[in-house]
Amino acid sequence: MASLIARSLVLNSRRGVQLTSVRFANKMMADPMEHATGLEKQELLSKAAGNENPFDMRVYKRVSGDQTNPTSVPSFYERRLVGCICEEDATSINWMWLEKGESKRCECGYWFQLADAKPMV
Amino acid sequence: MTSSHGHHAFHLVDMSPWPLTGSISAMMLTTGLVKWFHQFNPDLLILGVTATTLTMIQWWRDITREGTYQGLHTKAVTIGLRWGMILFITSEVLFFFSFFWAFFHSSLAPNVEVGSCWPPAGIQTFNPFQIPLLNTAILLASGATVTWAHHAIMESNHSQAMQSLGITVFLGMYFTALQALEYYEAPFTIADSVYGSTFFVATGFHGLHVIIGSTFLMVCLYRLYKCHFSATHHFGFEAAAWYWHFVDVVWLFLYISIYWWGG
Repeated sequence: MASLIARSLVLNSRRGVQLTSVRFANKMMADPMEHATGLEKQELLSKAAGNENPFDMRVYKRVSGDQTNPTSVPSFYERRLVGCICEEDATSINWMWLEKGESKRCECGYWFQLADAKPMV
Repeated sequence: MTSSHGHHAFHLVDMSPWPLTGSISAMMLTTGLVKWFHQFNPDLLILGVTATTLTMIQWWRDITREGTYQGLHTKAVTIGLRWGMILFITSEVLFFFSFFWAFFHSSLAPNVEVGSCWPPAGIQTFNPFQIPLLNTAILLASGATVTWAHHAIMESNHSQAMQSLGITVFLGMYFTALQALEYYEAPFTIADSVYGSTFFVATGFHGLHVIIGSTFLMVCLYRLYKCHFSATHHFGFEAAAWYWHFVDVVWLFLYISIYWWGG
């Protein structure tokens, strides 16, 4: 009998300790990717997919740029503003409208052409 | 991309009434202060404070919705928010700089009118090693707990973040209560020579900033409770922490120069 009581006491006290430790465990916050929504989430998803430049914010390096090999500029629309840094140490940017379908020549001689932009994600 | 949002990283805000109500209520608040000072009638001031408070609540509620529920705060947007907070706190530093300037102007070469000494003749100052030293310890401790809260958020630990941010808010309110007690028991008033003027303007504006900072932290505590933050999305909290550290540093300068050196 004594051993039975001792056994139930030990079991019960152990159960209490285990339950208490669960109750006092730290509650965790949502995973940042699950927590995000909208454009913020699209940005996070495309970065997770390896696209470090989801909003097309970086300067494009010009290619050789003659009429047969124009620099390709992505756009979601039929026309887009393009700025050409004509020379390495130019102090101003030459802006021009570029229409889809036709290539265009900057006054410095480099050619540009619009291409279809890929969706971010 | 499927949303109607343009293909760019920026947040073009919707039409909002709050800039208009904010301007009108700021005008009412300042005009109300002048009316109160000159005609001893606080009615317009109360109206101005109420309208300003309502504008602040609703404007920031909208920003919370844009950032948390509409996902409009991209990386580029939060960089803008960071710069905004940095410039705002810089302007606050300059605001307090002018009060220290007034204090040192009056105390480094005291006029004959105050007895050519500092503190001025007849002024009984606070003992800097009593309540003011306790307040220094409280604010330093709150700086530690707010950093604890930040680390808890960065590790997604909601329980610890709630505890540590709760302690931070409590310490802020404890500081305010002790300052109120000090003001109540002060043996000099704002009308007692340039000592009273510089003391109460500098420590009073600091106290106001502690109240603002505590409110900012309380809003963060509520938003944390409502799960608005994640390990990487919590700039509202960081801005409150920056502001709180700023208030803490101003107090250290107040304590060293006005309470200790000048007391």
